[in-house]
Amino acid sequence: MATRSNNVKNPGWAGETGEFTHLTEEDIRGTGYVGQRPPDGGHPGVAGSLPYQRAERRPDAPLFEGPYRERLDKILSRYPEKRAALLPVLAMAQEIRGHLSAATMEEVAAALDLSPAYVRGVATFYTMYNKAPVGRHLIQVCTNVCCNLCGAEDVLAAFLEHTGTEPGEISEDGRFTVVEVECLGACGFPTAVQINERYFENVTPADVPAILASLDGGEE
Amino acid sequence: MAYPYRHERETRILSEYFGDPAARTLAGWRERGGYRALEKALRMDRAAVIEEVKQSGLRGRGGAGFPTGVKWSFMPKDDGKPHYLLINADESEPGAFKDRELIRWTPHQLIEGALIGAYAIQAQHVYIYIRGEFFEPAQILARAIEEAYAAGFVGKNILGSGVDIDITLHCGAGAYICGEETGLMNSLEGRRGQPRVKPPFPAAVGAFGMPTTINNVETISTVPHILLNGAAWYRSFGTEKSPGTKLFNVSGHVVRRGNFELPLGFNLKELIYDVCGGIRDGRSLKAVIPGGSSVPILSADEIDIPMDYEGVAKAGSMLGTASVIVMDDRTCIVKQVRRMVEFYAHESCGQCTPCREGTAWLARILRRIERGEGREEDLDVLLDVGRNMTGTTICVLSDSAAVPVASSIKKFRDEYLAHIHEGACLAAAAAV
Repeated sequence: MATRSNNVKNPGWAGETGEFTHLTEEDIRGTGYVGQRPPDGGHPGVAGSLPYQRAERRPDAPLFEGPYRERLDKILSRYPEKRAALLPVLAMAQEIRGHLSAATMEEVAAALDLSPAYVRGVATFYTMYNKAPVGRHLIQVCTNVCCNLCGAEDVLAAFLEHTGTEPGEISEDGRFTVVEVECLGACGFPTAVQINERYFENVTPADVPAILASLDGGEE
Repeated sequence: MAYPYRHERETRILSEYFGDPAARTLAGWRERGGYRALEKALRMDRAAVIEEVKQSGLRGRGGAGFPTGVKWSFMPKDDGKPHYLLINADESEPGAFKDRELIRWTPHQLIEGALIGAYAIQAQHVYIYIRGEFFEPAQILARAIEEAYAAGFVGKNILGSGVDIDITLHCGAGAYICGEETGLMNSLEGRRGQPRVKPPFPAAVGAFGMPTTINNVETISTVPHILLNGAAWYRSFGTEKSPGTKLFNVSGHVVRRGNFELPLGFNLKELIYDVCGGIRDGRSLKAVIPGGSSVPILSADEIDIPMDYEGVAKAGSMLGTASVIVMDDRTCIVKQVRRMVEFYAHESCGQCTPCREGTAWLARILRRIERGEGREEDLDVLLDVGRNMTGTTICVLSDSAAVPVASSIKKFRDEYLAHIHEGACLAAAAAV
């Protein structure tokens, strides 16, 4: 993990004024406090909040087995209607398989007693469900107004250039997909970039090569 | 560990522990006085809790500014139905980044407020709807909820009071419209996040068809402080009609961007030039959006105003989420308005024709103008399309998309005309 602490230039709540040297990345991101959340989802009240874009996903992995079956049951226990579990269960399916194919949506539909067409209708409404495969690292660059004012288009261009991709396509080595995204709610720390689960804040074009290099460092 | 930057003019109530990682934990929160407000509330009558919040004058911090205590009082009493409290943590208004800080630094403050609110409105279940992109804050909140369950603050028979309240964290999946309260309810129920026609209002028919109240993260995080210190104390901050403090989230071309907690009524000009250190790179100010992208833009000479609901309205804009977007003299207004409108076009849920068609046409015409291919008549077309989008749809996303267009044409018409007649950008000229 130590190799991944390259990019927190400030804690991201009062601008990059250089006054925040005593807080560590762990302090800011709360990773030590959170620790490792279990695949079965932990407490039922929070079981629906787990990752949706893990790097080790497989398109043919079983959906509702072992700890994931437990997580499904925990999620279902929290709502008066089965249908309400749809969003968290779609997220879980994506966490396991990387994207939501028509076949995956059918399996989710069957598990929740919904029609495949209904599930497809809901899944296509939300941007975070990948309807097609994406690279191992999905890089989402905010270009909305607050980041845009501060150079977000140059950051987007830098990610595209350094990954050698066009928006939305997977790089040849399968590592990256770069897309533009709407406001990430980190407007005070432009440019905000989300890569899989984590946010990078105050990103400039010059930071891009180091960020890309750090990504696989955390996995291998 | 102290918060590393603290402007002397701030009044830190909600944000006292921003930057203090120990305050995240249950033990740390208890050491800082946490959960005493809950203990106090559980000893009070439900009606007395609502009355205290009503007396405090707390107004919803999600943008609309509706009095929170009044909203709670709309909930039916002892009707035997399940009641729900929904916490709106779907922060996604361009410019707004306050709730994320509240969640990631002080998750127990939010949980405590949610429990008090749920007790007051007889809700047995709280759903915290957090936008899916906020994965990291959601994990912090999840951990805090687990701690609170383990310590008996949440669940069955809370603190031996006989009151049962569950909390469930529910993650969205990327849709701005789910921040609209009825869109949020539909999304929670596993549907497309399309807003519902009102009435019926949520207090009568809300989530899962049951009486429901929806409160913003910042609103609910304020509640413990009011319960603990009293309505009169809360009213000692801010103004008569806009009591209390507010997180001002400032972005764009200021020296010091970030969240600053100030009493409502704080002067916008002083916020920008004093608290935020003025405009970056020695540039001058061109425009300010005072409350997130959905509110009318102010020109540089319109900012000597008090930042409260009434003061900003008087200046022709809205306080909204107090998300202040600052633009310097190098900013191309046409481009930034086009970018905001493209956002609304992308986020339109598509169920109302004026919005679905209107946002797309506004974006198309603005792109044409920005490229230097516009006509002067386009400005009238933009205003006409905007008028047809206002007050004609189920929710206000449509109105919001028309707002930056109309206000910028009114105040920065010369920039549009320069693009149209000369294919030139005045901002680019200023940047040289």
